[in-house]
Amino acid sequence: MIATRVTLLAAGLALLGACPGPDPAPTPHWAEAFDTTATGALSGVWGAAPDDVWIVGGRPGVAEIHHYDGAAWSEVAAPSDADLLVWVYGFASDDVLAVGVAGTVAHWDGATWTTLDSGTDADLWGVFGFGPDDVWIVGAAPAGDTVPTLLHYDGETFSPYALDPAQNSRSATSLFKVWGIDGTLFAVGQRGLVIRWDGQGWVETPAGAKADQDFVSLWGTAADHIVAVGGRNNARLATWDGTGWTTIAPTGIGGLNAVTMSAPDAAVVGGIYGWVGTFAPESGALEREDSLTNLDIHALWDDGAGRVYAVGGRFVGTFGGVALVRTLD
Amino acid sequence: MHRASRARAAVLALTLLAACPGPEPERALGDFGPMAEGIYGDALGDPLPYATAEQRATFERGHAVALRRFARRDGLGPAFNVTFCAACHERPVTGGSSGLYRNFFLSGVETADGAFIPGFSAGDAGGVIRLYYYGDDYPARPPVPAETNVVTQRNAIPFFGVGLVAELDGAEIERRADPDDADGDGISGRVNYDRGFVGRFGRKAQTVSIEGFIRGPLFNHLGVTTDPLSEDQRAALPVDSSTPLVRGALLEHGRLLSRFAQAAAPDGPTLDDDGVADPELSTAELFDLVSFAMLLAPPRPEPRTALSQRGAEVFDQLDCDACHTPRVDGPRGPLPLFSDLLVHDMGPALADGIRMKDADGAEFRTQPLWGIAAVGPYLHDGRALTLAEAIAMHGGEAQPHADAFQALSADDAAALEDFLVSLGGRAQATPGLLPPGAPIPAVGAYGGPRRALTPAEEARFLAGRALFDADQGPEDGVGAPRMNGDSCRACHFDPVIGGSGPRGVNVVRHGILNADGRFVAPAVGTILHRETILRGDANRPQAEANIFELRQTPALFGLGLIDEIDEDAILANADPDDTRPPDGISGRVSWTDGGRIGRFGWKAQVPTVDEFTRDAVGAELGMTLPAVAGMTFGVLHDNDDVPDPELSAEDAQLISDYVRLLAPPPRQPASDPDAAARGEEVFAEVGCASCHVPTLPTVGGEDVALFSDLLLHEILPADAVGIEDTSANMRELRTAPLWGIAKTAPYLHDGSADTLEDAIAGHDGEAAAVRDAFDALPTADRAALLLFLGTL
Repeated sequence: MIATRVTLLAAGLALLGACPGPDPAPTPHWAEAFDTTATGALSGVWGAAPDDVWIVGGRPGVAEIHHYDGAAWSEVAAPSDADLLVWVYGFASDDVLAVGVAGTVAHWDGATWTTLDSGTDADLWGVFGFGPDDVWIVGAAPAGDTVPTLLHYDGETFSPYALDPAQNSRSATSLFKVWGIDGTLFAVGQRGLVIRWDGQGWVETPAGAKADQDFVSLWGTAADHIVAVGGRNNARLATWDGTGWTTIAPTGIGGLNAVTMSAPDAAVVGGIYGWVGTFAPESGALEREDSLTNLDIHALWDDGAGRVYAVGGRFVGTFGGVALVRTLD
Repeated sequence: MHRASRARAAVLALTLLAACPGPEPERALGDFGPMAEGIYGDALGDPLPYATAEQRATFERGHAVALRRFARRDGLGPAFNVTFCAACHERPVTGGSSGLYRNFFLSGVETADGAFIPGFSAGDAGGVIRLYYYGDDYPARPPVPAETNVVTQRNAIPFFGVGLVAELDGAEIERRADPDDADGDGISGRVNYDRGFVGRFGRKAQTVSIEGFIRGPLFNHLGVTTDPLSEDQRAALPVDSSTPLVRGALLEHGRLLSRFAQAAAPDGPTLDDDGVADPELSTAELFDLVSFAMLLAPPRPEPRTALSQRGAEVFDQLDCDACHTPRVDGPRGPLPLFSDLLVHDMGPALADGIRMKDADGAEFRTQPLWGIAAVGPYLHDGRALTLAEAIAMHGGEAQPHADAFQALSADDAAALEDFLVSLGGRAQATPGLLPPGAPIPAVGAYGGPRRALTPAEEARFLAGRALFDADQGPEDGVGAPRMNGDSCRACHFDPVIGGSGPRGVNVVRHGILNADGRFVAPAVGTILHRETILRGDANRPQAEANIFELRQTPALFGLGLIDEIDEDAILANADPDDTRPPDGISGRVSWTDGGRIGRFGWKAQVPTVDEFTRDAVGAELGMTLPAVAGMTFGVLHDNDDVPDPELSAEDAQLISDYVRLLAPPPRQPASDPDAAARGEEVFAEVGCASCHVPTLPTVGGEDVALFSDLLLHEILPADAVGIEDTSANMRELRTAPLWGIAKTAPYLHDGSADTLEDAIAGHDGEAAAVRDAFDALPTADRAALLLFLGTL
């Protein structure tokens, strides 16, 4: 009887195999990007090209920078006066900025990393620019202040921007990331605060009832296809359609920290306890992928050539890192 | 929902589909099946019976941490509600619940776009409103920000059996969820998640890990900072809470969620700026405290009697088990938890508007029922004083069941209540904090009478003490609408009932300093109460109030003797114009209404013990009393729905007589009698005794060693502003009696001094010279003086 069943099953599979059908969806495969057993926590990843990728992180008081040249990863000397780095973004292979704790801003000129005087000792969590002379940096409230740090950098000077408390209905004291596309620029932060640059100033853009926890990161593919993720505790995902934000709170998924996108309806997201998966903004569908860690995923970056990098680690106590790369088989 | 009471179908198909889930086996009404053995304590407060010797030692240490009174130098505050864990988890024993007087306020802001953000209170405390503040950034009662538009109260939640709940696989909870009520029974049930793990602790099941459930309140309610436990410590907890670092190995998500749930605690330190180095509680102490919680056993259910069996059947018939799931399968067997640990919509009457994690404003976790007999009052804000009230107040999904309960015959309702009580804790249930049958302490001991009592007096002492101890409820008239406590014992319990109270029960007085620099009492009076029976009310002060002053709870030991002190003896020490001699120390008699000398209260504003009782019943409990000839204190009428008087004159007299019979604090032996004797000499030499007069005689000639002249002195700095009361100005305070001072820390009227040295240093005004003299003493004499004070 068992043999008969197996025969029938095999025959059925053979018939199915003979029929034309859609190509099977590629299978994501995660692997370690490099050995991180000795690294600090890794918190930011960005590349100028698939063979020019930067990962930043470190430990309290110590910055750490890793670089991929298309063949191998190597550690690059970080400025000795740089503190733990949190985020990295750049404009060319010789023009990369990294920001971090205690007002740290570091610049890569193609040869060396050097620190810049940001004029603040606030912790800086995010950096983005439409160009080297139009850079925004966001972070925690400076000591004694009650509104988050916003700095504009024109390539020469850092100018603090005072967020109008009226544009901060959630009394947030931190902005975590800033990102934009096609002239549309958002910053996201504590307690679900979302602000948008309207050309003159930063204006709160409410993201709805579910925007009740921190938004930690955002990415997009067009001015009307942007995704913000967060939820320090349970996951929150918000989508911007060009006119407004829609926020969802999927159940059973811990807080998300990271998002990257290469297509309008395909985001890769990552979060606490090693959670990685995909998010389809149109349907709201989330699909978890088996990851290789229970460390928090802090940043994701898609190299546009089939690889998605995920970095993270443990950000308290004994700092430790993880760097993963996702390919599609 | 799966409900055993609905599982009446034959199970023939199970033999064919053995691997598939099917209906649960048929059972008799009220029979919830065998439960796990070896998990119960003989009494609430016992450790789990399988705890190892090492764990039992940890349990004892953790219990001590739960009882530890945090002082400012230990890191208390700057913003806080209470000074120790057991303040709220006290009934019937440490780890339990507490009366309404310990309710805390929880707040939030519902933003214009509909999001709920936890409210602020002297900083970010997860929405917890803090009632006290020591420091310069906020007044003694921190303000509730104007944008706060959601306020509710929370009654403390008991910890018994939480270690067993921590062990539950999240899937065991998830499997009962029916968020869309797919089975159409009117009961849904949603999982609340915490960091993606299945939440199980808290009124809204908002927390998954016990470490997280303890560290949060330590900061929010005590202002005590902690670091997370180390990985090794988490691994050594009674419920393994470790999360070994995984890097480079395939991690199956479901296993992670079940294995690492207890590790899902906040992984960052908590920090504050009170000048005490963080963390203010060591991880070793935190480990002990978390272990204590994990090891607190649930009570052993009573064997069924005919009455409780009938009650179980009624419980079953009413489908109470639809949410109060009798059996939850854990690794040690089925737990008689009587909770599905899901959140359910409880209807608009119970809705509090507070959203926590994924639970909305009307959703609450099904309260476990083990030990329910001893942990009232009930429901999230303690609004139900009895189980019957609690059941009747169930709304939303549970409304039909509440209706069915109310339609029961009296016998069946009583049987149901008996069944619930039989789930554990019955013998420890108490209307206050004294355990049932607590004896009278020895004559002269703390809490004992000041002399041998006749049988009639003893009965009266016991009755008065019981009344003093018992919680009063809103239906008794307590809170009209505001109160500081719901019993006398609520504030007077240190070191035993009748004593003083820690900072967490401080009274806040407030007032208005107008443009002319004159003190104006707010329309509601100078007391800014801690609690209110008004739901959704943040207890905000009058907007113009700009003076906030803390007042420590004085001990009541020996008050009967003070009551009897000869007026002439008090008058003899008065020196209002500082002429007898002109030594910089004056001393004014506090004249109260009717020409009576005030001798009680920080401002000597009350003349007698009877009036003191009447004053406290009205001002602190919010209860009315009948008029009594010769008495001028007390509130005769209030605006609640309870007929006045809410406490009879006889009951008030019982309380007074109990207080009047309390012995003065017993003197303590000195570790070095010679040094203590020298300290007594120094006490007189430096001038302490000028105001802290060692003894005053009673009208009967008995010397009362209270170390006070009962007069008013200006001892606050010249620029101080405070509360005027009766004849006392803003800077005047009555000389505080020093007897019992060894056990009444913290010190000074506002409790700002942790130690006697701090208290001496806090003297100013008339006492500045004496303070300076103390400062100038040789080290040995200072130590001797402090040693002497410790003997009082």
